[in-house]
Amino acid sequence: MASKPLPLFRRAIADSWRSMIGWSLGVMAALLLYLPLFPSIGGSPDMLELLDSLPPELVNAIGYDQIATGAGYTQSTFYGLIGFLLLTIAGTSWGTAAIAGDEETGSLELTLAHGVSRTQLVLERTAAVVVRLAWLGLLSALVVLALNDSAELGIEPAHAFAAAAALVGLTLLSATVAVVVGALTGRRLFATAAGAGVAVLGYALNAIANQSEDLDPLHAWSPYHWAYGARPLADGVDWGGLGLLYGISAALVLLAVVALNRRDVTG
Amino acid sequence: MTSVIDTTALTKRFGSVTALHPLDLSVPAGSIFGVIGPNGAGKTTLMRLLLDVLRPTSGSATVLGASPRAGGPALRRQIGFLPGELRLEGRVTGRALLRHFADISGPVAPGTIDALADRLNLDLSRTVRTLSKGNKQKLGLVQAFMHEPRLLVLDEPTSGLDPLVQQEFLTMVREARSNGQTVFLSSHVLSEIQQVADSVAILRSGRLVSVSDVESLRVSAVRRVRVGITGSTPTLVRDTLSSLPHLTDLDVSDDAPSDGVPVRVAATIEGDIDPFIKLIARFSVADLAVEEPDLEESVLRLYSTPEVSDGV
Repeated sequence: MASKPLPLFRRAIADSWRSMIGWSLGVMAALLLYLPLFPSIGGSPDMLELLDSLPPELVNAIGYDQIATGAGYTQSTFYGLIGFLLLTIAGTSWGTAAIAGDEETGSLELTLAHGVSRTQLVLERTAAVVVRLAWLGLLSALVVLALNDSAELGIEPAHAFAAAAALVGLTLLSATVAVVVGALTGRRLFATAAGAGVAVLGYALNAIANQSEDLDPLHAWSPYHWAYGARPLADGVDWGGLGLLYGISAALVLLAVVALNRRDVTG
Repeated sequence: MTSVIDTTALTKRFGSVTALHPLDLSVPAGSIFGVIGPNGAGKTTLMRLLLDVLRPTSGSATVLGASPRAGGPALRRQIGFLPGELRLEGRVTGRALLRHFADISGPVAPGTIDALADRLNLDLSRTVRTLSKGNKQKLGLVQAFMHEPRLLVLDEPTSGLDPLVQQEFLTMVREARSNGQTVFLSSHVLSEIQQVADSVAILRSGRLVSVSDVESLRVSAVRRVRVGITGSTPTLVRDTLSSLPHLTDLDVSDDAPSDGVPVRVAATIEGDIDPFIKLIARFSVADLAVEEPDLEESVLRLYSTPEVSDGV
């Protein structure tokens, strides 16, 4: 009966094009700032000397041990750090807005009073988050490849897309955690805290696990490690890690569908 | 007569707070049914239950022949809903927002949105978040009416509207009825319910106090009157009026002759106002003020045992 398909998905995309320009500029700016410096920083003897003088624990924690290669440098500066930060913030805030934010402003009631089901609402709005994150990931890969020659990065084109898929999967996990907590509680604060918490925890676990052989098993619990542990930018796509990230996200979305269908919508 | 809304012991509790005590209510098809009651009486809870925004703690409701939950999106497409706390945001224009709502409700006939916006004097080209409360309310009304739903559920529809627009809204409600649509609306402004509704339910503290048709309420209405009379004496006026039944709080004074009106009369009249008018007609009336009847007070007098009835 609905006149056009995916009305909530289309609205979410249409409502966010302004902010998408901002996020896209942020991703491009970060890459354009860091990558061209690789020839003078990453491979330079001065930098290697500096890294040697730093405590190895610190270098391991921030993942700068591979900084001498183009792939390692791009991973350390963007995919493992700034890009991770940007997309985590974007994904968590979109995931929060999808249900909890809309409920706290009181708009969710009116939307659900129309001819849409709660299942449809969760699925369409999460799909809009996926598409937006995927765009930022794709954009990052395209910018990396555009700078590949001039910045002497030497990255395999396919590997750039593998790294982007890992970044999107990793930050999508934060987004879907925010969605499911929003579906369970309807509280913006809880949703954001959970989404950001997963990212921080994953990063911290990975950094700790990097410290020694004894701590290595901790890697198994870090989404950050699922995404980047197999070094997708250097060695190519890691289907196991991606499967874990996207699979858990999908399960969380199903949980959100069930949760929202079972409760009162307030506010 | 078939009913469009039927509730059976419909109950809603939030934790230990009972927002709606077991409620039995029936709204006939093609009627305008008003719910009045103070804030917190359970009007909004009732409407949210009908739209499956809230789920009942116990009891059940039938809306257009289906339970709100089972009816799902297909049922809600046949309902136009205006929430009591309408919050519209966003950088989109009013027209874009309405187009979105049209996408997720029943089909909207071409030109309907513009016609409704014209009637309510609403500028659709403005960004939603820059609109005043009254204009947002108009947007809310347009989205509720635009797909000509079989049932309109309107929670405090006139809040924030100026009097002229309120009148236009009441006209729209009457047109909806003559169109065969059913209107279920709430208010704490009693006069507007009285102007349009066929039946009135009164909710207080989550309980149904009464359901009556508006005509019988009007008959039992309680009005405050004030009259200024010249060319007579307070004693004569008092003697004349004291013969009237249903007249209470009579106060006759003549202590303000400076305005040229020697006798001032204030009183409360219960029920028919005609005998009072006939009586004071024998005097020279300088001014006359009759307050709008207070329906709630009228009803509470009729059912003078508060907090008991579970329905009629």
